[in-house]
Amino acid sequence: MTEEGLLDAERRRFNRFALAPSLIVLLLIAGLPAIYLIVVSFTPFQLTEPGSATDFSSPLRNYQLLPADPRFVNSLWVQLKLSAFGVAFQVLLGMLLARLLNVPSRFVEFARTFFLIPMVLPPIVVAVIWKVLYTPDISPLYYAASLLHVAMPELTSSVDFALISIIIADTWEWLPFTFLMVLAALQTIPDEFSEAALVDGANRLQIFWYVTLPFISPVLLISGMFRLIDSVKAFPLIFLLTSGGPGSLTEVTNYYAYLLAFDTNEIGYSSAVTVVMLLLVAAVSLGLVWMGKRREGFA
Amino acid sequence: MTRTRLTSMERPFSRRTLLKAGTAALAGTAALGACAFPLPAFAQTKPYSGVTIHGASFQHHFFTLLQNYIPEFEEKTGMKVDLQLSAFPVYNQQANLELSSGGSAYDFCNVTFILASRWVSAGLLTDLNEFTGDPNLTPAEWNPKDFVEGAQVPYRDAKGATYGYSWEGGAMVMGLSRMDLMEKKGLKIPKTFAELQQVCNEINGTDNVSGIVSFQLHNWNLPPYIQGFGGNVFKNPPSDIMPALNTPQAIEAVEFYANLLKNDAPKGVITFTEDQARQSVLTGRSNIFIHSSAWVTPILMSSESKVKDTSRVVRMPAGPVADHPASNSQGLGIPKNAKNKKAAWEFIKWALSPEISMRLVKEHGHSSICRRSVIQSEEYRKLNVVNGQDLGALYLEVLELPAKGDNYMAYRTVKEFPIVGDVINKSFEKVVTGQLSAHDAMNAAQDQAIANLRRAGSKI
Repeated sequence: MTEEGLLDAERRRFNRFALAPSLIVLLLIAGLPAIYLIVVSFTPFQLTEPGSATDFSSPLRNYQLLPADPRFVNSLWVQLKLSAFGVAFQVLLGMLLARLLNVPSRFVEFARTFFLIPMVLPPIVVAVIWKVLYTPDISPLYYAASLLHVAMPELTSSVDFALISIIIADTWEWLPFTFLMVLAALQTIPDEFSEAALVDGANRLQIFWYVTLPFISPVLLISGMFRLIDSVKAFPLIFLLTSGGPGSLTEVTNYYAYLLAFDTNEIGYSSAVTVVMLLLVAAVSLGLVWMGKRREGFA
Repeated sequence: MTRTRLTSMERPFSRRTLLKAGTAALAGTAALGACAFPLPAFAQTKPYSGVTIHGASFQHHFFTLLQNYIPEFEEKTGMKVDLQLSAFPVYNQQANLELSSGGSAYDFCNVTFILASRWVSAGLLTDLNEFTGDPNLTPAEWNPKDFVEGAQVPYRDAKGATYGYSWEGGAMVMGLSRMDLMEKKGLKIPKTFAELQQVCNEINGTDNVSGIVSFQLHNWNLPPYIQGFGGNVFKNPPSDIMPALNTPQAIEAVEFYANLLKNDAPKGVITFTEDQARQSVLTGRSNIFIHSSAWVTPILMSSESKVKDTSRVVRMPAGPVADHPASNSQGLGIPKNAKNKKAAWEFIKWALSPEISMRLVKEHGHSSICRRSVIQSEEYRKLNVVNGQDLGALYLEVLELPAKGDNYMAYRTVKEFPIVGDVINKSFEKVVTGQLSAHDAMNAAQDQAIANLRRAGSKI
C-alpha cells in the first residue's frame, strides 16, 4: 500500500473511532427502543396477559389485521389530510409573511420577534390557548361573534370544522418556522437581480415568480419536508382539543396508537400500527431526499 | 493559637474507642435490665423499625390529606412510607405494567376501579382475607364488614376473596343549579327520564341557561341510560361479556341521551372536560349536571359556587325499566409479589381505619369515604346536611345499590370494558354530531366491539 493509502486508512480508522461514542449512544437511546418496538409488534402483547410479550406463535397476525381495521385506515387518511393542508398553509403563509416583513425597519424587526412566539411555546401550552379559543362559553372569539350577532359553529365538535380547527392551530404554531427559514433565504438574494428585472420592465409579480421564487424554492422544499415529517407529531393539539373526535374525524395514526397502547392495553397491536407509521414517515423522508438530490443533479 | 491534629495512634483515647466503650456499656446495662425487668410493651411496638414500604396511587385529595397523618403512623410503627402519586392515566399505565410484569416495586397500591376485575382475575393482587381472617393481624374493631358493600363488590373474586378495601366512593347523583328558574316555570325535580327531557327542554335557553351539561367520558355517562331502558353494555357481565350495544334498549338510550345533549346542552358539550362541566353548573350557566357526588355537590358546598341558594342535589332520574345510577370506588391493595406484605397491611389497616376516616371527615370535611359507621355518624351528618339536604344519606343510598340484587356496575370492572368503552365513546359522538343515526352507529359499534375484543384475544 502507498503512503497515501496508509494515510487514508489511518484517517478512516480515526473517523470510526471518533464517531463510535456518539453512535453507541444513538443506538442505545434510539436504536434499541425501535428494535424493541419492532419485536413487540410481532407479539399479541397485552399488559394484563402475562406471557403475551414473548408469544411469537403468530408473528404477522397484527400486520394482517391492520388493513381490515377501519379506524387504522381512517387514521391514515386523517393524517394525510392534516399533513397536506397543514404543511401547505404553513409554507404558503410563512412565505407571504416573510415577503411582507422583509423590509429594514425597527417596527418590522420587533414584529418578526413577535411572530416567533408560537413556535417556542411548549406544544401543550399552544393546545391550551386554542382550547380556550375554541370553547364557546369562555372564548373571546365566540363572545366577539355574539356581539356582532354572528352564530359561530362549535368548531372542535363539529363534523365540518373539527379537522380544520386542528389545522388552524397547527398552522399558527408552526408558521413561524417556515417564516424564519424563508426570511433567511430572502435576505441572501442580492438586490441586483430584482433591480435588473425592474429595469427590464418586470412587474412585482414577475420579479417574485422569476427571480425570488427560484432562489427560495430549495428552502421551501426543505422547510416543507421538515414540517411534513413533524406534522405526524400533532399529538398534544388532538389530545386536548378533540380527543380524536367527534367520532374518529380527527383521529390521526399516532393518536390511535396511543389509545391502543394506553387505553385498551393492546401494546403488540399498537406497536404494529407505530411500525407502519414509522415506515411511512421514512418513505416520505427518503422520497423528499431523493427529490432534493434530483434537483441538485439538474442544477 | 493553632490546633495540632493528632493521629488515632497518638491520642490516648480516640473518640471511636470511647464510643465503642460507651455503646458496649449501654448494651450491657440494657441486657442486665432486660433480664431483671422485662421492657414495657410500648418499647416493643415498633416491629417495623428500619422498614420502608413503597406505595403508589393516582393524585387525589384523599392522599393529600392522608400525607398529613402519615408521620404519626411512621412514628407509631417505626416504618417509613414512600408514597408515589401520579396523574390518573399515568398511574394506571405504570401500575398495569408493574403488576402484570410481576414486579415487586410496590408494597401497596391503588386498585383502580376500572382495572380491578382485570387485576383480580389475572391474580396480580394478594388475597386480603389472609390478613383480615387473622386476629393477630387485624383486630375485631377494624371490622371489614363496615365498608359499604356496594363499594367493595369490585374487589372480590367469585370465591369471595377480597383484594382491596375502598378508600373512595363515587355515587352518580343529579345536581340542579337553577331551582329558581324551575319554580318560576312550575317545574318539579325530574324523577323519570321523560321528566328529565321535559325539564331540560323547558329550561334550555331561559336566561341563557342550558338545560343540561355533561362531559366527554360518554362510556361513564351513557350506561345508566342504557340500563334504565333495560339494556346493558355486555349481555351478562362478568360471566358473559358479549357486547350488547345494538339491542333496541341500547339504541333507544343512545337516541335519548344524544337528543338531550344535541338540544339542551351548551355548544361543544361533547368535548367538555369534567372541570368545564362543573364550572358551567357552579356559575349557573347550566341547570342539570349528572355525575359523581364529588363533582356535583360543590354546587351546594364549594366557595366557588354562585348558585348555593338555588341548588338541589338528588337521585338521578330512573329509567322506564330500571333505576341504575352509576357508582364506583377506589381501593387499596397489596401486589402479589410485594416484598413487605405485613407492613403494607399495617399501613392499609391504619389508612382505612375508622379513626382516620373520622378525622378526615371532621378535620377536612372529606366525605367520599366508604366506612358505613362513619357515614352514618352524627359528625358526618352535621357536615353533610346542606340546606336541609342530607348528602351523606344520598351518597350511601347510591353507593349501596350495586350490592343489592345484581351488581349492575359489573360491566365496568371486566377486563374487556376499556375496549368496548372506547367504541361506545366514538359511536356516541357520531350520533350526537349527526354522522350516523343511533341505529346505524350502534350496529356498527357492536361489530367493531366484537372485532376489537377478538383482536385482543377474547374468546367470544
